[in-house]
Amino acid sequence: MDWDEEYDLLAAGGAAERSFVERARNALPDDDDLDMPHGPPRPAAVPFQLQQPAEEETPLQQLMRHWTNERNCPDILPAQEELLVNILDHIRRQSQTVQLLREDASTSEDEHVRIMLAQTEMERVKFIVRSYIRTRHYKIDRYARFITTNAEVQTRLTAGERDHASRYANILDRHLYKCVLQSLPPAQAHLDDTAAFVPSMITQPDKTRPVFAHARQDCPPIRLPDGTALEMQKGHISLVPYHTVEQFVVRGEVELV
Amino acid sequence: MSEARQYGELATQLVLESRRSTQTDTLLKYNDALVRSIIREQRDLEKAAEPLALLDGPPVPALIVIETAINRNKRCLLAYHTHRTDRLRDMYWAVGGALPHILANQELRGRLSPHEVDFLREYHASIMDFRSDFSDELDIMASITQPPKDLHALVKVVRDCGWIQTELGNINFKKGERFMVRRADIEHLIVQGYLEEV
Repeated sequence: MDWDEEYDLLAAGGAAERSFVERARNALPDDDDLDMPHGPPRPAAVPFQLQQPAEEETPLQQLMRHWTNERNCPDILPAQEELLVNILDHIRRQSQTVQLLREDASTSEDEHVRIMLAQTEMERVKFIVRSYIRTRHYKIDRYARFITTNAEVQTRLTAGERDHASRYANILDRHLYKCVLQSLPPAQAHLDDTAAFVPSMITQPDKTRPVFAHARQDCPPIRLPDGTALEMQKGHISLVPYHTVEQFVVRGEVELV
Repeated sequence: MSEARQYGELATQLVLESRRSTQTDTLLKYNDALVRSIIREQRDLEKAAEPLALLDGPPVPALIVIETAINRNKRCLLAYHTHRTDRLRDMYWAVGGALPHILANQELRGRLSPHEVDFLREYHASIMDFRSDFSDELDIMASITQPPKDLHALVKVVRDCGWIQTELGNINFKKGERFMVRRADIEHLIVQGYLEEV
């Protein structure tokens, strides 16, 4: 189901019903039962996704894929700015249409029901966008100091996210300075100690964290930490350390579930 | 040091407090006294280390012991404060970024150090900046715990919250009353505990 198609249907005030039936048929598994925001997607959702054709994703499906990826990934994934802008634009256009139709006195009762369904759907899409942004935001706060020192990660963030990361890193540094460091002897008042046998002072994403990777297509062999190779065919789901599938996730060959 | 105490014992207490805070899922009162005594211990250790560091030759074992204690104490101090800021951030998001709501809560405020209040204010300012990047269509502060199932919600007013603009016009929410309103209009009030879903 294409967004624009749906928009046109709604704008015409006409056969929107078909779109909902069709959407229901093509819909991704319902996320209502997910234990948000921490729980992983329930396993029952997986077989359903296996039947999804890998090609021709609608923007909503793309958004949902990026959203589940982001939620399951220990690292920060590249920002999907274009997709988000498109979806938000679409929501804006659609809410304008809805507004127009609602104010139109000639809109029938039947159409009002459809408008309500469209509005509910919009709220649900907004929920996913919000959850996606907040998930990224949580990681940015957590790794703010790491982000400010690592140019590669910065390329994966939007300008707004970058700004917030550096602001937050500053706020936290200042806070720690005021609470602790300024009272310590000068020799101890640094945040970048590199003592032996002690973990780094900068929290970094743990890329060795295991993730469930679902191959959306046949993948080239993955080298596992013990030296063996794993070849994932389309539809396979494996539990692997994140760093082994990192590139596949970025390229969209693998999704995290 | 006057008392017979192992190096780093106080720091262990401090970290234990963080641990307890995680286990009980509460923010404990900022332990100013303990933080101060650890900082005092740090200064004493530094004084003890200085003459040893001036000695010629390879570092003496005593110096290594002291340095290790210093590093450990410092990490514990930082861990304690970072743990608290993490909790503060979670708390901030749990009420949908309503900072006045947090600060008006006297019981909670009593548990924060003045620096932590400043921290929350600065964090809030940064989030507001970040939020303004998004259009009016999307309020990133709204709840993300339950996906919406209905457009409207039946709510009960738990605390007076005055006139609120909704789809149906301005409504004066008074304690004890019930309304059927658009969820998006009052979501933040549910999060902040003014309204309850029936």
